[in-house]
Amino acid sequence: MLAALHIIPIAASGITAGFGIAVGGGLGAVGAGVGIGIIFGKVIEAVTRQPEMRDEITSIQWLGFALTEAVFFYGLVAGLLSYVLK
Amino acid sequence: MTKTQKILFACFGVYIGVFVLLLLIYGFTQHKNNTFQIQNEFKLVNWVSLGVFSINRAVLYLFISAVLTVFTMVWIAGRMQARPNKIQTAVEVIFSLMRDNITRGNMSDSMAARWFPFLGTLFLFIWFCNLVGYLPLPTNTEEKFNLFGAHIPSFALYAATANISVPLVLALVVFIAFVTVGIRTQGAVGYLKSLIPAGVHGPMLLLIFPIEVISTLMRLLSLTIRLWANIFAGHIIILFMAGGLAVILGLQALGWFALPAGIIIYLFELGLVATLQAFIFATLAAIYLGGAVTHH
Repeated sequence: MLAALHIIPIAASGITAGFGIAVGGGLGAVGAGVGIGIIFGKVIEAVTRQPEMRDEITSIQWLGFALTEAVFFYGLVAGLLSYVLK
Repeated sequence: MTKTQKILFACFGVYIGVFVLLLLIYGFTQHKNNTFQIQNEFKLVNWVSLGVFSINRAVLYLFISAVLTVFTMVWIAGRMQARPNKIQTAVEVIFSLMRDNITRGNMSDSMAARWFPFLGTLFLFIWFCNLVGYLPLPTNTEEKFNLFGAHIPSFALYAATANISVPLVLALVVFIAFVTVGIRTQGAVGYLKSLIPAGVHGPMLLLIFPIEVISTLMRLLSLTIRLWANIFAGHIIILFMAGGLAVILGLQALGWFALPAGIIIYLFELGLVATLQAFIFATLAAIYLGGAVTHH
C-alpha cells in the first residue's frame, strides 16, 4: 500500500511535464475554433444577404478573426508559463 | 486526365515514394536527440557586450526593419510620379489603408491628422519586423556550418517581434500615449470618470469601476501577447514542421512527411498573419486613442 502511494507522485510528475501546454493549448484551441467558426459563418450570412456591403464586412471580419485567434495564444502562453514555472 | 492533374499526381507519387524509401532505409527506430535544444533557436547571444545596450540578434533585426521602414518609404516618396508604377500603386494602397481604415475610421478628423504619422509608422514598422522575420538570415551563431573553410552562422528564421520585449515596448508606447491623451483632454478625474459606462449609478459603481480600470490595464498585456505569441508560435510551428520534430525524435521519415505542412504554414504566416497582426496592432492603438477622448 505504502509502496503504491510512493509511485503516484513520480507518475504524476511524468504527466505534468507537458501537461500545462497541452491543456492550455488544447482548451484555447477549442474556444478560438468555435469563435472563428462563428465569425466566418456570420460573414457568409451577411455577405449573401447584402453583397454590396462586402468590402466593409471583409475589413471587420479580419479584425474579429485576429482578436479571436489571439485567444488561442492566451491559452498557449498560460500553458507555457505553467511549464516554465513548474 | 489533363496535364496539370498528371503533374500533381506525379508530385504526390514522388512525395509518397520518398516517404516509403526513408521508412525502408531508416525504419521506425527512434533515436531521441537530447543535444539539440529547441530553445536555442530563440536564444539571444550578445555579440557586442554593452550591458543593457548589448547588440544581439533581436537588436540586429530591429535595426534591419527600422532601416527598411525609413529607406523604402523615403525612397518611394522621393520618386513619386503622376503616372504611378507598380510599386507606387502598392504603396498608395498601403497608405490609403493606414489613413482611411486605421486612422480616420476610429477617430475624429482633427485628431486623425495629428496621430496619422504615429499610427502609420507603427503599422509599417511592425509589418517590416514581421516580414523580415520570414527571411532566413545567417544569424544563428550557436550553430555554425563550414563553407570552404569559412565558419558561417546557420541560416535561421527570427523576428524582432518574436521576442516579447519588442511588442511590450510598442504596447507601452501606445498605452502611455492614450492615457496621456485622455488625461490631457478630460483631466485626470474626468478620464477616470469616462471609463465608467453610461447608465451605471450607485453601488454598482463599486463593482464596475475596478473592472473597467483592470480592463484598461489589461489592454497593455493583450496588445503585447497578441503580437508576440502570434509571431512566436508561427516561428515555432514552422521550425517543428520543417525539420525540428524529425531532429528531436530522430525519425527521418516524419521530417519528410511534415515538410508540406511546414511550407503551407510558412505561406500562411507570410501572407496573412504578418500583415494582419501589424494591422490589428495599429487599429487597436487607433481605437484606444480615439476612445480616450470620448465619454463611454
